[in-house]
Amino acid sequence: MAKYNLATIMRLLQFTDSTFPVGTFSFSNGLETASFEHIVTDAKTLEAFTRSQARQAAFSDGVAAILTHRAFSKGDYEKCRDIDRHLIMFKMNAEARLMITRMGKKLAELAVRLFDSPLISRWLSEIHSEDTPGTYPVAQGMTFATAEISEKELFCSHQYGIVNMVLSAALRCVRVSHYDTQLILEKLSNEVEQLYDEASQMELQDMNAFYPELDILASLHEKGNMRMFMN
Amino acid sequence: MVNEQNKEKTRAPEVDFSTAREMQPYLKEPEAMYVGAPGKHGYLRLGFELDSTGKSILRDLERRHPLIVQQELYFDEEMPEMPCVYILSSGGPNVDGDRYEQDITVKKNAFAHVATGAATKLAEMKYNYSGLVQNIVLEENAYLEFMPEPVIPCRHTRFISDTRLCVDETATVFYSEIFMGGRKYYGNGELFEYDILSVCSHGERPDGKQLFREKFIIDPRVEHPRNLGVMGKFDVFANVIVITPQDKADKIYDETEVFIDNQKMLAAGITRLPENAGLLYKVLGIEPGPVKKMVREFCSLVRQTVKGKPIAPDFPWR
Repeated sequence: MAKYNLATIMRLLQFTDSTFPVGTFSFSNGLETASFEHIVTDAKTLEAFTRSQARQAAFSDGVAAILTHRAFSKGDYEKCRDIDRHLIMFKMNAEARLMITRMGKKLAELAVRLFDSPLISRWLSEIHSEDTPGTYPVAQGMTFATAEISEKELFCSHQYGIVNMVLSAALRCVRVSHYDTQLILEKLSNEVEQLYDEASQMELQDMNAFYPELDILASLHEKGNMRMFMN
Repeated sequence: MVNEQNKEKTRAPEVDFSTAREMQPYLKEPEAMYVGAPGKHGYLRLGFELDSTGKSILRDLERRHPLIVQQELYFDEEMPEMPCVYILSSGGPNVDGDRYEQDITVKKNAFAHVATGAATKLAEMKYNYSGLVQNIVLEENAYLEFMPEPVIPCRHTRFISDTRLCVDETATVFYSEIFMGGRKYYGNGELFEYDILSVCSHGERPDGKQLFREKFIIDPRVEHPRNLGVMGKFDVFANVIVITPQDKADKIYDETEVFIDNQKMLAAGITRLPENAGLLYKVLGIEPGPVKKMVREFCSLVRQTVKGKPIAPDFPWR
């Protein structure tokens, strides 16, 4: 971080802030159902649930974001498209696909206003014409590369986004306090370095996820009528 | 040790996962029978098609030990026209360095049911891994039920598979896999004591268009299956991929119940595959019996939707 000027750090905070208008507030990543089914009931189970969400995201969305950042920095637009397509094919859960494409499009729309980037403009037009899915991690990779924020900070922001999304939702549907959620955030922050070490060595074909309990919770939400959150 | 020159290998088709990142710790040549030795390199090719009278038959069969298929049988009481095949293995469990390939083709309008005769046991391994490549191809309006018995991973086993499902837009494949946590009643129990299971299934259309790619790696030392969100309190996991036209997928989706039942200790979920390719159904349970029953009931719903007939209850000895 030492080499950054303050404007770059400001951008990192801006893109990571939960009020950054990409719609993170409307998703709970299955927490609502996990709470209803008495799987997440307190700070301990919330921590385990959030950790699983963070790890699941690290080895799929996190990998896609890092690889996009690298490809975009080299001006390899086709590779970015390839990652976008690969990630949507890897997302087995229909609501997760809805979430990452909705947020991806919003971020792309913001990025073209914030930066003069012909490649992001091209990507946004291809999202509109449905020639590319337009996933959020790919949008993050492009935006962070354009803003000259490194891939490590990008991964950090991606992880913070997931963890904060779940913990913010928890305050509304699990019996936990702000102290509990901040403590969980502090604990999980210490695990991000290790996740980055692993995810940064992965290629597209290495993306993997084994979270059947989360998948079933997402399915219950998808078929159910609980709608405090979209996901 | 066998001298390198004296190693007679059954080479083609090659099953090699040595470039997979997760298998890098498991690439030593076994000190017992070497990789590729006869008997450790099974191959199976099954080709179903309609004969001149319109009967669905197993027209094409090639096998190499230890995999055995003898002939198709017509024992399905609800669908007596259905050719049923059990894949057997004369080798017992999959052992260190085993390689298998299974190619199944169902031609235009044909249909078939493929299962295994018994659970696939993955033995303890010390040097290498056991690998499986599958190519499942369905032509126009073809129908395949692929419902093998569960996989039982023993302590320190390593298993990797890659399954390609190439399915015409008018065809339906029901592809199921059930993974036990291990031999839980053996000795003090071997739940989740295996080294690694890496399972990848991907779908595509005959023109090469890619539909989805699911990959899961279970390495209990990295992420324990007991963790909340992974398998939690459950021991058995079933994964079912159904590639089918969208109208059929919609009907199956609407009629499938999703739940977490803490009394019966069973949970099931369904979602839609990317590209409207079909459905993905997952079941978690404690014992294999109830999980198998859920998978069979789901298969029955698929058959009812596509073929207008249910599947018969399982044989009592299965």
